Amino acid sequence: MNTPEVEIRERVRQLLDDDRLPGVLGLRAEHGHVGPHVFNSADDLTALVLEPRYGMALVCQAILDGSPKGRLGVVARGCDERALIEMAKLGQVDLARLVLIGLACSEQQARECMCTRPYPRRIDVGEKVAGVAPGDDARVQQLLAQDVQARLAFWQSEFNRCIKCYGCRNVCPVCICDACVLEEMCWVERGKIPPELPFHLIRAYHIADKCILCGACESACPVDIPLTTLYALSQARLKELFDYEPGLDVTQKSPLTTTLEETPLHEL
Amino acid sequence: MTNSAPEIEDADCILVTGSNTSENHPLISSRILRAKRKGAKLIVVEPRRIHLARFADVYARQKPGTDVAWLNGLVHIILAEGWEDREFIAARTEGIARLREQVAGYPPARVEAITGISPAQLREIARLYASAARASIVYAMGITQHTHGTDNVLALANLAMLTGNIGKRSSGVNPLRGQNNVQGACDMGGLPNVLSGYQPVADPKVREKFEQAWGIEAAGGGSGSLPAKPGLTVVEMANAAAEGAVKGMYIMAENPILSDPDVNHAREALQNLEFLVVQDIFLTETAALADVVLPGSSFAERDGTVTSTDRSVQRMRRAIDPPGAARADWEIVCDVANRVQRNTQHATRGWNYTSPSQIMDEIARLTPSYGGMSYERLEREWLRWPCRSLDDPGTEFLHQGQFTRGRGLFTPVDYREPAEKIDEQYPFILTTGRIVFHYHTGTMTRRSPSLEREVHAGFVELNPDDAQQRGIRDGEMVTVASRRGKIEIKAQVTPTVSRGVVFIPFHFAESAANVLTTRALDPVAKIPEYKVCAVSVDRCQHPEVVMKCQV
Amino acid sequence: MNYRTVLTICPYCGCGCGMYLPVLDGCLGRPIPDKTHPLSQGRLCIKGWSAHEHVASKDRLTKPLVKTQGEFKEVGWDAALDLVAARLLKIREQHGPDSLAFLCSAKCTNEENFLLQKFARAVIGTNNVDHCARL
Ligand code: SF4
Ligand code: SF4
Repeated sequence: MNTPEVEIRERVRQLLDDDRLPGVLGLRAEHGHVGPHVFNSADDLTALVLEPRYGMALVCQAILDGSPKGRLGVVARGCDERALIEMAKLGQVDLARLVLIGLACSEQQARECMCTRPYPRRIDVGEKVAGVAPGDDARVQQLLAQDVQARLAFWQSEFNRCIKCYGCRNVCPVCICDACVLEEMCWVERGKIPPELPFHLIRAYHIADKCILCGACESACPVDIPLTTLYALSQARLKELFDYEPGLDVTQKSPLTTTLEETPLHEL
Repeated sequence: MTNSAPEIEDADCILVTGSNTSENHPLISSRILRAKRKGAKLIVVEPRRIHLARFADVYARQKPGTDVAWLNGLVHIILAEGWEDREFIAARTEGIARLREQVAGYPPARVEAITGISPAQLREIARLYASAARASIVYAMGITQHTHGTDNVLALANLAMLTGNIGKRSSGVNPLRGQNNVQGACDMGGLPNVLSGYQPVADPKVREKFEQAWGIEAAGGGSGSLPAKPGLTVVEMANAAAEGAVKGMYIMAENPILSDPDVNHAREALQNLEFLVVQDIFLTETAALADVVLPGSSFAERDGTVTSTDRSVQRMRRAIDPPGAARADWEIVCDVANRVQRNTQHATRGWNYTSPSQIMDEIARLTPSYGGMSYERLEREWLRWPCRSLDDPGTEFLHQGQFTRGRGLFTPVDYREPAEKIDEQYPFILTTGRIVFHYHTGTMTRRSPSLEREVHAGFVELNPDDAQQRGIRDGEMVTVASRRGKIEIKAQVTPTVSRGVVFIPFHFAESAANVLTTRALDPVAKIPEYKVCAVSVDRCQHPEVVMKCQV
Repeated sequence: MNYRTVLTICPYCGCGCGMYLPVLDGCLGRPIPDKTHPLSQGRLCIKGWSAHEHVASKDRLTKPLVKTQGEFKEVGWDAALDLVAARLLKIREQHGPDSLAFLCSAKCTNEENFLLQKFARAVIGTNNVDHCARL
C-alpha cells in the first residue's frame, strides 16, 4: 500500500497533468524546512510532504485575490475545508475556483488537535477517524468543573503572558475585518503588554459563530495560551443551544444572525 | 549564548537580569515561560518591573548600576552556606581563594545598602540558583551597558562557575544579542581589535595568515601588510572625528546619530568629517549628513547568512529584487574595493565574488570557528559555531568539559559607582532601552504601520509618587534634561519604574533618549553607560521655548 | 499567477526566527511563520509579523545620492562609486589610513560584514572597524 504522501503526490500530478490546473497548493520540504508552496509541475512532486500542518485557507485566499481568474488545487485537511467553507459564507473565497484534494487526518493527528472533524467531506486520501465533540476534552471539563471566579482567574493568568503579537488573529481564517477593532484604542489600549482582557474577549466573541476550531491561533501563540480551549467552550454552547457547527455547509447561516423572533435575518 | 536557545525551556532555574526578555527577545522569553510552566524557578532582578516579573518566583528590584554588589552578595551567601559545587570548582576552575576573600566584603546588609535588595530576598535568590541542577543565567544590555559592564559579566561568570552551572545542557550564561546579526558582525571581525573569529590583529601569525590568503604580501606596495594596531571603537571614532583625527567614514546600514550616546556630540562629530559615505535603505538621520548615499538592500532582498544570538548560522534568501537601482550590499562593497584598488598599485586578492556563497567559503577557510560551514551544508544541517571542520556537527552548548582557556578563572570584581551621580539639579536616574513594538533607531519599525499604530512617539516612564510630587499627570509633556541636552517628551506615569528612576526607549528621533545619555565608557569593552545617567524631569512650563532636540 | 514562498530570517532581534516570505507576482505579503524552525516553531512577535511592511515603504532609497551644495542629487552608480573611491583614497594619501573609519552593521549579513572589514583592513589599511554591538 502506498503512503498517504505518495497517494497525494499522484492526485496532484493528475490535477496538473490531466486536468491542466495551473497550480496546486501543498507543503514542500526544502532547505531542511517545510512550508506552503504552489506546485506548478509534476516534476517537483518528490518534495511534496504532508507534515507539519499549516493552515491553507488564508494562503488560498491570498493567491485567488491576487489573480482575478483561474483555478487552484489545494491539499486540504478537514480543518482547511471547514475554513474555506466558512470563508466562502463570508464572501472571502470563491469555492468554484478551488479544487480540493481531501486528506483525512490520522488518529494521532486528530487527537493532537482535539479536532472535531478530522476529515473533509470528500476524502481522497487517508481513512476517516472519529473526531472529538467540541469541548469534550479534559482541559475543558476541568475548567467547567470550577466556578466562574476560578475560571476567570485561570484565563487572566493565561492572558497575562500575551505579548500582543496578533499572531492568533493573523492566522485566523475567519477573522476577516479590514479594520480590526483590536487595533482601536477605544477597546484596547495601544502599545501595552500584556493587553487587557477585552483583547481576547473581543476576539472570542467576534469568531463565536465562525470558529472552525482549526487550532491555528493556538499553534501561532508564542506564549502557549490555550486559545482553542476558550473557543471550544463557545462552540460547545453553540452546538448545545442551536445544534450548529460553523464550516460544514456554505448554505447554512449562523443562528446568531437571527432576530429575537427567531426569524433568520436573510428572510426578513 | 553558551547554551542554544531552545535548551532554555529545560532549565530548572532561570535568573533573568538586565534583559526585558519578553519585549526584546520575545521568542526566547517564550522558552523561559515554558520552563516556568514545566516547574522551573524564575528569578528576575531588574530596576524596572518588566513583563517577566509577573511570573517570577522572586522579583528583586536593584538600584540601576549596582549589579556587581548583589552578584558578589550572592557569591558571599553561597559560600557562607556551603552551597557551592565543590567538585566543579576543584576540577575545572582556579582562583576560588581570592574570590572567597574578596566577597567577604559583601555581606547582605552592605548589599542591601548599595542595591536596595533585602537580605531575605538575596538569600532566596542564592538558594534557588545554587540548589538547581540546571540553572541558567539570561542577560542583555542591562548588564553590559555600564561603565563597569565587564565587571558585571565577570561577576555573573563567577556565580555560574561557583555553582557548576555552565558547560551543561540548559545551564549556562546566556547573553542575548539585540539585533538580527549583531553576533555575526562580531564574529566576522566587525571589531577594531580582531579579524574574523576573534583572531587578534595584534598577533603576527594571524596577520600573516590573512595577508597570504588575501595576497597582500605578493602585491607589495600600498599599505603593504595588515595593520597591527587595534583601531577605534564606535564612540572613539566619534570623538576622533570631532577632534579631526578621523576625516572620512564609511557607514554600512547603521544609524549612530540616534544610537550613539550623547547624540548632539555624535552629530557634530559626523558633521566635522571631510567625507562621509552611508550605505542604507532609507535616508536615516545619519545618511542625511552624508556626502554620498548608496542604496542597499532590505532583508527581503538579501542573500547570505546571519548568526543568531545562540550562534546558529542561518541562511537569508532573496525573495524580491531591490527597488530601482538599489543593490546588494556585498556587491556595493566589492565595487568600492575594486575601484579603490584600480587607482593604486597594490591589489589584494578576492574581490571578484559572484555570490555570497563564495564569500562564505573564504570565511570558512580563514575562521576556525566557522571552518566547517558552507552553503551546501546549511541547506541540510542546523549549524551552531564553533563548527571547525566538514564533519563537525557544530556546538549546541559551549564549555563542555573544558573552558577555552583550560581552567575557568574566578575574577574578583569590586563594586564601583556608575560614572554619573544624581544631585539636586539632576535627581533622577535615567535608564534607556527598547519596547516590543519597535527596534533600535526605528528606521524600519517606524515605517511599519502596524508597529507605528501601537506606539508612535517616545515616552518617559515615571513613578506615580515622583509624578505626584512634581505635579505631573499621565500623558502630559515634560522636559527631561541631563548635563548634555534636553528633550520634550510625554510622561507615562507607571509603577513599572521605582521612585527616582525614569526610563525612555531610544527608538524615537523626535524625543531621542540619547540626547541625554553619557559618553562614559566601560574601560575594557568600551560600551557606553546607557543604563545610568542623571536627569531632571519637569513639567513643560513654556512648551514653545523648550529647545527641540536637534535630530 | 506566480506565487512563491521564500524561506528567510526575521530582520529584527537576535532570536533569529524563521519565516517564509510569500511573493505574489512580485509583491511581498505578510510573513508566514516557519513551523519547522527549531527556535520559533511557527511563532513570531509583532515585529516579525510586520517585517514586510517597511520593505515597500515609499521612503526606500532607489538611486545613489551625492550631496552638492547641501542638496542631494540622484546620480548613477558609476559616478557615485568613483567619487567614493577617489575621496577615500585622497584622505588616505593626505592623512594616512587611520584617518578613515568604517562601521559594519548588525543588520547586514556575515558575508557583507566580512567584506567591509576586509576592505578596511586589507585595501585601506586600518583597523578602525566597529559596529553598534555595544549600542
Ligand atoms: S497569539 Fe498569543 S501572544 Fe499573540 S496576541 Fe494572540 S494570545 Fe497574545
Ligand atoms: S519575530 Fe520577534 S522574536 Fe523573532 S526574530 Fe523577529 S523580532 Fe525577534
